Amino acid sequence: MVMIIGVIVLIAVNIILLSIFNRRYISYYRPGRIAISLIAPFQKASTSSIRFVRDIWRHYFFVVNVAKENDNYQKALNKAFENNIQLKEFKLSNSRLRNLLNFEKTITNRVLSAEVIGKDPSPWFKTVLIDKGKNDGVESGMAVVVPKGIAGQVTDVSANYSKVLLIIDHNSAVDALVQNDRARGIIKGGMAEQCLFKYVLRKHDIEIGDIVVSSGLDGVFPKGLAVGYVSAVIKPKSGIFQEVTVTPYVDFEKLEEVLIVLNPKKKEFEPEQ
Amino acid sequence: MTHCLHIFICLCLIVIQTTVMPYIPLFERFYDLLTPFIIYLSIFRSVRESMVVIFIFGFFMDIISGGPFGLYLTAYVWLFIGVRRAITFLHVGDSLLLPFVVAAGVLMENLIFIGTSAMFEQSSRISEAVVSTIIVQVLWALFTGPLFLMFFNYSHRRWDRWSKEIFVKKN
Repeated sequence: MVMIIGVIVLIAVNIILLSIFNRRYISYYRPGRIAISLIAPFQKASTSSIRFVRDIWRHYFFVVNVAKENDNYQKALNKAFENNIQLKEFKLSNSRLRNLLNFEKTITNRVLSAEVIGKDPSPWFKTVLIDKGKNDGVESGMAVVVPKGIAGQVTDVSANYSKVLLIIDHNSAVDALVQNDRARGIIKGGMAEQCLFKYVLRKHDIEIGDIVVSSGLDGVFPKGLAVGYVSAVIKPKSGIFQEVTVTPYVDFEKLEEVLIVLNPKKKEFEPEQ
Repeated sequence: MTHCLHIFICLCLIVIQTTVMPYIPLFERFYDLLTPFIIYLSIFRSVRESMVVIFIFGFFMDIISGGPFGLYLTAYVWLFIGVRRAITFLHVGDSLLLPFVVAAGVLMENLIFIGTSAMFEQSSRISEAVVSTIIVQVLWALFTGPLFLMFFNYSHRRWDRWSKEIFVKKN
C-alpha cells in the first residue's frame, strides 16, 4: 500500500516538474553549457570524419568528374531556384507596393555559415546542433536558412555551439503567406517532415503547388524567403479555417550546412538634451 | 574506474546516435541507443552504480534534444525502476527473455515521450507516422537489443578483468 502511494506521488511530482520545465524553457545555464561543450566536440569530430571519408569516396574514387560536375550543377540549381523565388516575390511586391508607396528595399542581412554537427537523438523532436555560438555573434532567436529556404531558428547558444529548432518540429512557428494568394497563416511542424499551415481562412483559394513564403511579420525570418509548397488542402464544411499541408523545400535529412541570419545592429539614438 | 567505462560507452552511443545513424537510410528510425544500456544497468549492475550514469546522461540527452527539459531523465529513471521491478519476478537473465525486455523498454520510452507531448499539446494526435515509427523501433529492439546487452556485458567483464590485473600489478 505504502509503495503504491509512493509510486503515485513520484509520478505526480514527475508530471509537475515536466510541466514546469515545459512551460518555462530552460536555456543553456552553466551545467548545460558544460554538457554541450563536452559532447559537441566529439560530434563535430565524428561528423567531420564521416564527411571526409564520404567526400574522398565521392570525389576521388567514384567517378571523379561526374561527382564534381554534379556538385557544380547542384550549386547552380540551388542558386537559380533561390533567385527564381526571390525574383517572383520581388516582382509581386514591386507591382503592388513599390509604385504606390515609393519605398526602396534596403534590408541586406548579414549571414554566417555554420555546419551541422549533430541531430536530435529522438525522432519525436527536430533540432540540430551547429558549430557556431556566442563567440561568433550568434544569438538566441536568429533565423537559420539555406539557399532553398527557411531551415529553423536558433533556440539555445553556448560559447561555440548552438541548437537550432527546425521548422518541422511541432514547437516551431513561422508567420507565412501564400505567394500568389497572399493568404496568411502560421507554419507549424507536423509529422513525416511536413508542415501544417494553420489559421488560413476558408475564403482563400489555395491550390496544391502554391508557394509559401515567410511574411516577415514574426520579426525572426526576413520577408520573402521560401518555406515550401502546398501539398494538400482540406476545406472542412464548417469552421473558419482550412487545413493546409506544406512540404518544405529544405531536405532536412540532408541538412549539412546552414546560414544564420545575423540581425542588423540596432541604431542607438542619442538622448535629447 | 567503472564509471569511466560507463561514461565512455554512453558518450560513444550518443555520438553514434546523433552523427552516424541519421545518415544511414536503414537506421533513420532506430531506437534510442541508451535504452539498452539503461536496461543492461538495471539487470546487471547495482543501483548506486547505475543512478550516476542515468542522471548524468539523462541530463545530457535533455540538453541536446529539443524536447521539454527532464523528459529523457524521466524516461530513463522509470525505465530503470520498471526493469528493476520486473527482474524480481522474471528470470530476465535468461537470454530468451532479453529481446522482449528491450522491446518493452523501447515501447515504454516512446509512450512516455508521446504521453508527455499529448499532455502539454492540446492539438497533438496519434497519426499513422507515429504508430509506424513505434512499430519499427520495437521491431529493431526485438532483433538487435540482445546483441547490445551481450556487447555491454562482454565489454564490462573484459574491463573488470583488465582493471583487476592493473590493480594486482600495482600492489
